[in-house]
Amino acid sequence: MGFWGSSGRGLANGLLPLLGKEMRGRSRNWRFPLALSLYLAFLSGVIMFFLSLIYRMGMVSSQTGFLFYGIIVFGLVLLLAFITATVSATAISGERDRRTYDLLLATTASPTGIVLGKWLASVIYLLFLVVAALPLLAVVYLYGGIPLVALGTAMALCILTGLGYGALGLAYSAVLKRSQAAIIFSLVTVFGLIFVTLVAGGIGAASHGQPGPVPQVVPVQAEHPGWYIYLSPLSAIPAAVPGGLRPVPIMGELVSTLNRLVSAGLTQGGLWVGMDTTMVVAEGFTGWPSWTKFALFQGVLTVVCLLIATLAVNPLPPWRARKIRRRKAEPYC
Amino acid sequence: MIKTRGLKKSFGKVPALRGLDINVQEGSIYGFVGQNGAGKTTTLRILAGLLLHDEGEVEVAGYNVVQNPRAVRESVGYMPDFFGVYDDLRVGEYLLFYAAAYGIRGITACNLRDELLELVGLSDKRDSFVDALSRGMQQRLCLARSLVHNPQVLLLDEPASGLDPLARIEMRNILRELGTRGKTIVISSHILPELADLCTHVGMITDGRLVYEGLLAQMAAGTESQHIILRCCSGAVQAKVVVENWPGAELVRESGEEMEIRLSGSAGEAAALLKEVIMAGAAVNHFAKAEKTLEDAYVQMAKEVN
Repeated sequence: MGFWGSSGRGLANGLLPLLGKEMRGRSRNWRFPLALSLYLAFLSGVIMFFLSLIYRMGMVSSQTGFLFYGIIVFGLVLLLAFITATVSATAISGERDRRTYDLLLATTASPTGIVLGKWLASVIYLLFLVVAALPLLAVVYLYGGIPLVALGTAMALCILTGLGYGALGLAYSAVLKRSQAAIIFSLVTVFGLIFVTLVAGGIGAASHGQPGPVPQVVPVQAEHPGWYIYLSPLSAIPAAVPGGLRPVPIMGELVSTLNRLVSAGLTQGGLWVGMDTTMVVAEGFTGWPSWTKFALFQGVLTVVCLLIATLAVNPLPPWRARKIRRRKAEPYC
Repeated sequence: MIKTRGLKKSFGKVPALRGLDINVQEGSIYGFVGQNGAGKTTTLRILAGLLLHDEGEVEVAGYNVVQNPRAVRESVGYMPDFFGVYDDLRVGEYLLFYAAAYGIRGITACNLRDELLELVGLSDKRDSFVDALSRGMQQRLCLARSLVHNPQVLLLDEPASGLDPLARIEMRNILRELGTRGKTIVISSHILPELADLCTHVGMITDGRLVYEGLLAQMAAGTESQHIILRCCSGAVQAKVVVENWPGAELVRESGEEMEIRLSGSAGEAAALLKEVIMAGAAVNHFAKAEKTLEDAYVQMAKEVN
């Protein structure tokens, strides 16, 4: 059997049984339905809260549906980011904790097959969560609805978020020995990627502009948005919200407040930069829509993390094996 | 079937193996003995392709572990000393999962599952959840798992640890059956009497080095000391005084009128001791060389090495 045939077999020997086992295990475990129920209860709670707020303040207008949709997508993305990272952070370290890791590595499943099997199992879990949230998104149709393209973009954004952060959790799970450490590192990193990048972007934007009041009207594109803000899925949310120029109010308020806290004054544009898809007129990378930039970074994050996990799982790392092959055994006296 | 040459492995600055050379014949049942921390588990993990050594050469079933790890894994069934199970799988599913991880699927895998469960005596537990099995049953299931791809070599790290006597006997019978099927089996164990019953060859490792390798019978006979059972009708106290003061004699065990003595030297030395005991006034009604066990040989050899 050639290299490709052998690699393909190793991949299939890891991917197929692991995927099947994880799915079967989750369907039998009480934790999965419980987590799903809590997730839906939390999302429903958020929706109920905002519904009551809107009615109490008499804010029902033609834009209510969009506003509402933005809030749901915002909450969904945040939940999925943290849930997927947590789930995948126990995928490989959990095998170590259970003492089944050696048994798995002793099979003919390749490290790539094992990593992809674990990752896809986490991704399928993510898909369950996304699909389960769809009925909640239907609430926006009470207020006029949203185009299907926007809904598709939102789903793609959720899945991209889950794929990248799932791979991140898996990399920590493979590199760190204990599940608890892997979970903590994953959550801290995800928090950093989602929020710290935006705050850093705010500070960066503040240093390029003049201090001034918070813009009350349509924000203006600043000159040099930091590329790192596209590591945050929040930077891509406006692309999933119909209405083009309209940023997500809740997020905008949150980020503006953060920005005000860390800088002397808010610059014109500030953190609206990068969230807006239609205002960008620049060419090249800066001219790309925000969600494509986020997709690119998420793709890179996914590939890098899966590569790290594969190398960490391999009991015979290629570079060390090569070193031993070169070294001749010394005669034992 | 298994060869290592100059095998070295360190964990940080702590050396675990210091140039290990072992040679396991095809079809043999090889007992791998040594005290805690001697390097048994490290060696087995290297042979199974789960750990990379620092120096030396390792060949299993004709394949180099570093150059052809996949072929080695296809040829080796490994059972670790401590292992876990997937508690959300049933016994049959557990075996099918590992069969799939070796590329065996469909009806072949199902037939294999039934055959292996029959071999380890768990056919009636096929639909039970794995975590509901007793420790002994889990050990047998893990053994079945290591056989799922019909390997030529079995590497078993303390397969009988934590088992009650009945479960040990069951495990020993299964291993004996596998031996008759031509499998090459390497068993690391602390329970030496069990190895003595089972093994054809023995390798003794101390401090990361092999200090003995060969036939089990040769190991037991090869040490310089002999064990003697002395029984007296009367005068056991005088006999004990003589034994304790005899150069090269050591009282291993004493119960009532019977003593077990470890004695260095030839048969003439034993005759001289007997004469002295009788001269001291003991009425001896039994004085015979005890059959030396693997445990005796091991203890003796360990003392000589240290």
